[in-house]
Amino acid sequence: MPDKFLQFLVMAPICAGLLALGIPRRLKGFFALLASFAVLAASFLIFGKESSLKLGEIGFGIALNFRLYHFSSFIVAAVSAFTFFSALYCLSFFNKNNNPRQFHAYLLLSLGFTNGAVLADNLVAMLFFWEGLLLVLFALISQSGSNAAFKTAIKAFVIVGISDLCMMAGIALTGRLAGTLNITEINLMPQGLAGIAFILLVIGAISKAGAMPFHTWIPDAAVDAPLPFMAYFPAALEKLLGIYFLSRICLDLFKLQAGSGLSVLLMSLGAITIILAVMMALVQKDYKRLLSYHAISQVGYMILGIGTALPVGIVGGLFHMLNNALYKSCLFFTAGAVEKETGTTDLAKLGGLFRKMPFTFISFSIAAVSISGMPPFNGFFSKELIYDAALERGMIFYLAALVGSFFTAASFLKLGSAAFLGQSRQEHKEVREARPTMLIPMITLALICILFGIFNNLAIKKFFQPVLLGGLQSNHFFDFHTNITLVVITLLVLLGAFIHHLIGVKINGSGLKAVDHIYHFAPFHKIYVWQEKKYFDPYEIAIKLGRRISDLLWRIDRMIDWVYDSLVTGLVYTFSRTIHRLHSGYYVVYLIWALAGAFLVMLFAFK
Amino acid sequence: MANTGSLLAVVFVPLAGAFILPFAGRISVFLRNLLSLIFILVSFACAVKMIPLCLQGQTMQFSLEFPLGFNFILYADSLAVFMAVVSSLLSAIIIIYSFSYIAHYENQNEYYSMVVLFLGAMRGITFSAKLIFLYIFWEITAITSWRLIGFFRGKTDILRADKAFLVTVFGALTMLIGFIAIFQQTGSFDLSVIKEAVRAKPLSNVIIGLILVGILSKSATLPFHTWLPDAGVAPSPVTALLHAAILVKIGLYVFARLFVVNISFGALWQNYLPWIAGISAIISAAAALKETDLKRLIAYSTVSQIGFIFFGLAINNTIGIAGGLLYILTHGLAKAGLFLCAGIIEQNTGTKDITKLGGLIKTMPLTALAFLFCSFSVMGIPPFGGFFAKYLVFSGAISSGRMYVTALFLIGAFMTILYLFRVFSLVFLGENKIEAKEGSWGMVSSVALLAVLSLLSGVLVRYPINFLENFLGRILGAA
Repeated sequence: MPDKFLQFLVMAPICAGLLALGIPRRLKGFFALLASFAVLAASFLIFGKESSLKLGEIGFGIALNFRLYHFSSFIVAAVSAFTFFSALYCLSFFNKNNNPRQFHAYLLLSLGFTNGAVLADNLVAMLFFWEGLLLVLFALISQSGSNAAFKTAIKAFVIVGISDLCMMAGIALTGRLAGTLNITEINLMPQGLAGIAFILLVIGAISKAGAMPFHTWIPDAAVDAPLPFMAYFPAALEKLLGIYFLSRICLDLFKLQAGSGLSVLLMSLGAITIILAVMMALVQKDYKRLLSYHAISQVGYMILGIGTALPVGIVGGLFHMLNNALYKSCLFFTAGAVEKETGTTDLAKLGGLFRKMPFTFISFSIAAVSISGMPPFNGFFSKELIYDAALERGMIFYLAALVGSFFTAASFLKLGSAAFLGQSRQEHKEVREARPTMLIPMITLALICILFGIFNNLAIKKFFQPVLLGGLQSNHFFDFHTNITLVVITLLVLLGAFIHHLIGVKINGSGLKAVDHIYHFAPFHKIYVWQEKKYFDPYEIAIKLGRRISDLLWRIDRMIDWVYDSLVTGLVYTFSRTIHRLHSGYYVVYLIWALAGAFLVMLFAFK
Repeated sequence: MANTGSLLAVVFVPLAGAFILPFAGRISVFLRNLLSLIFILVSFACAVKMIPLCLQGQTMQFSLEFPLGFNFILYADSLAVFMAVVSSLLSAIIIIYSFSYIAHYENQNEYYSMVVLFLGAMRGITFSAKLIFLYIFWEITAITSWRLIGFFRGKTDILRADKAFLVTVFGALTMLIGFIAIFQQTGSFDLSVIKEAVRAKPLSNVIIGLILVGILSKSATLPFHTWLPDAGVAPSPVTALLHAAILVKIGLYVFARLFVVNISFGALWQNYLPWIAGISAIISAAAALKETDLKRLIAYSTVSQIGFIFFGLAINNTIGIAGGLLYILTHGLAKAGLFLCAGIIEQNTGTKDITKLGGLIKTMPLTALAFLFCSFSVMGIPPFGGFFAKYLVFSGAISSGRMYVTALFLIGAFMTILYLFRVFSLVFLGENKIEAKEGSWGMVSSVALLAVLSLLSGVLVRYPINFLENFLGRILGAA
C-alpha cells in the first residue's frame, strides 16, 4: 500500500500542476488548494512508514528508485503542509488585477519535484527532480513578466544552475567511487577524491538552501517575485530540501567526522553566513528585503549545526530547519498582508499598523520572538542546541552564533517598531485586517511555533532523533539538557539587543532608524556602501570575470579566423603572383629554370 | 535478406529522389514539396523499421561486386540505424519548416534538390562499409553544403561558402591520405577486413592524426571551426540542417564508426583529443558570449557542444560513448530548434543583430517559449533530454579518471548557461525595439515540435538509453 502512496506523492502534484496550466484562471486557486490538500493527507497517512518502490532501470546505473523512511516522510509532510498553506494564502492574496497566470500550477509542480527529490533513492533520479526545480524557480520568479523579474529569474537560474552542475559532477564522482548510484548503498569517507565529491555535493545542497556565497538572488527576488513565492520557496521549501540533502550527505553518503577539515569548513561557512547576512538584514529599509536577508542568515545556523558533526548539533540544525521554515513563512505571510493592505513594504511609509491589523501583528510578534531565539518559543530551543555543539567545537563559532542572535533580535525590533508601532499614517486610514484565508496560515504557523517551543522534547524525539539512528553510532543524543550558563548568556544577549534598541530609538529618533548608528559606524559604513554597489555579489563578480576571460578567448578565436582569411589566402596569392611573374615570356628565364631543374635532377640521380 | 530492401531504400530513395525534384518543380511547386518530404519520410520509416532487428543484435548487409576491390557494401548496425533515425527525423521537420521559409526566395528547385541529395549522401556515409565510398559520399555532402551556404548568391555568401568548402575539402583530402595509408597497411578499404588487420598491427598515430584532421574539420572543431559561424549567411533551415542536425554530426559519426566500433584508438590521441575538444568547447563558448549576430552565436554554441560530444566519444568507456551518442540526438533536436527560432526572428524582424532586438516575448510568445525550451535542453536541465546526455558524458569522463579535462568541460557547461541566457534576454526581454509578429503557422509548429521532442527525449530517455546500452554492450563486450 505505501508503494501506491509513494507514487502518488510524486506523480499526483506533477500531473495536477500540468493540468492546472490549462484550467480556467478562476478555478486554479481552488484546484491547487484541493490538490495540495490531497498530497498533504497522503503524506500524513504514510508518515513514519518504511517502503521502497522501484519504477524501473533506465540504464547505466540510473534507476527510478524511491525510498520512504522516517526522515524523508517527515520532509515530504512538511513540504506538503507548506504548499497547502501557501495555496490557501494565495486564494485571497491574488485578486483580479494582480493575478500571475500560472503561479498555482508551478506551486504544484514544485511540490511534485521536491517530493521526487526527497524520496528518490538513486542519485541521478534525485538530481533529475532536484535540478528540475530550476525550471519552476525560473517560472515562479518571472511570473510578473516585468523585465526586472526576468532579470532576477535569470540571476537565480544561473547561480543555482551552476551549483547544480557542480552537484552533477559530484554525483558522477560519488557514483564512481562507491560503485553504485543507490543512495542507501553508498557509504564513503570524505577523503581525497571522495572529499572533492563531498564538496561538490555540498555546493549543490547549500546553494539550494541559499547560503553564502550562493545567496544574492534571494534579496532581489524579494522585490521582483510575487510574495507567496518568497514565503514558499526560499523560506520553506528550499531550506527543507537543501538542509535535508546536506544532512544526508554528512550522515549517509559520507561519514563526516567531527574535527575534520571539512567539518571546520562547513562550520566556518555557516558562521560567516550568519554574521554577514544578518549585518545586511539590519540596515534594510524594506520589509521584504529585510526578511530575505534573514532567510539567508538562518541557513548559517543550520549549516553550523550540521557542520559540527556532533549529534547535538545535527539535531539542532534539523530542528532549526523546521523552525525557520515555520516562522520565516509566517513572517513573509505577514509581509504579504501588509503589502496587500497598504500597498507598500517600504518601512519609511509604514507605521502604527498594530491597531488596524492586530492578528497580523500578533502573528508577526510570535514569529519575530521565535526567530530571535526567545524562550519558550521554538527558535530558542534549536538555537540552544546549536550553541551547545558550536561551543564544544570552538569558542569562535559560538561567538559568531551569539553575535548573529544579537543582530537578529535588533533587526526584528527595528522592523516591528517601524511597521506596526508608532503613529499610524493618514494614507492608511482605509487599511483593515487581512482576509481570513490569509490569516489562517499565518496564525497556524505562529501557533505551531509556540507548540514546538513548549513541546520541544516531543518534536525532537518524534522528528529528528530517529534521523541519527544508524547514522552516528557513538554517543546517543539524549533529552534536551538545559545548560543554565548558556541560557543565561542567551537571555543577556537578547536583553542587550532590547536595550540597544531603546537607546537607538532615543539617539536616532525613531524605530526605523534605531540601528542607523551601526550603518554609519566608520569601519562598517564603507563595507555597506560597497555592498550596495554590489561589489560583493559573487554573481556580478563572476559575470565580470567571465566577460574578461571570454574577451581573451574570443581573441584567440579571431586569431584562428585571421589565419584562414588573411594568412592562408595571402600566402596563396603571394605564391601564385610570384609564379605568375616568373612566367615573363623571356626565353632566357625559362632556359635558366630548365637548366637549374636539370641540374637538380642530375644531382639527385647521381648522388 | 528481406531487409536489404529497406536498407537500399534508406540510402537510395533520397539519393535518387534528389534528381527527380527539379523536374517535379517544373510541374508543380506543391508536388515538389510533397515529394521531398515523402523521400525523407520513406528514408525515416525504413530506418525506424530496422530498430527491432538492431535490438536483437542483427546486422544487415548489401554488397555489389566491382573490380579492383571497389566492391560497394552497405552495412547496417545499431550505430548506423541510430544516426539514420536521428538525422532523417530532423530533416523531415526542417523540410516542413522550409515550406514556408523558403517560399519567399528564388532557386527553390535547387534548394530542395540539394537538401534531399545532402540527406541521401549522409545516408550513404552512415551505411557505407567501405572507406572509399564513405569518402565519396563525404565529398558529395561538401558540394551540396557549398551550394546551400551560398544559396543567396551575394558576394559574401559565396566567399563564405567557398571558405566552408575549402576547409572541409582540405580536411577530407587529408583524411583520404589517411585512408590510402590504411589501404597500404591492410590491403583493403573494407572496414570488417581492416578491423581484423589492425588488431594484429595497430595503426600508427600519424594515420589516425590524418583522419582526425578530416573529422575535426567536418565537425567544426578547433582549429578548423571558423567556417561554421561564417556559414551563418545561409538560409536558416540550411544552417539548422548543416550546423545542428547533420553535417557537423558526420564527423562525429565517422569518428564513432572508425574509432569506437572498428579501430582501436592510439593512446596518444586518447590523451590529447579530449583536450582539443575541451579547448574548442571553451573558446567557442567565449565567442558565443561575445558574438552579437544571432546565427553566428548559435553556431559557436554548436562548436562548443560538439566539443562535449567528442569528449564523450573519445574517453573510450561505455558510459561516455553512450553519453556522446545520446548527446547527438538531444543536441540535434534542441539546436535545430534554436536555429529555426533564429530563422523566424530573422525573417520577421529583418535583422540578426541581437543588440537591435528586444522584447520579442510579447509579440512572439510561442517562438520565445520554444527557444527557451531548446535552450534548457542544451544547458542540460531536466526534464529535458540534454540533462541525461550531459550527465552520462561527465560520468564517463569521471569514471575514466580524467579529472582536469572534466573540470575544463564543467567550466564550458557554466558558460553554456551564461551565453544562452544572454541571447535569450537580449532578444526576448527588455524594450521592444522592432515591431514584429509571430512566425507563420508551419514555422512555429515545427519549432514547437522540436521543443516538445526535446522535452520528450528527456522524459522518455529510457528508450534511447536502452538502445545504446544494448548496442554498446554488444560491441564493446565483444571487442
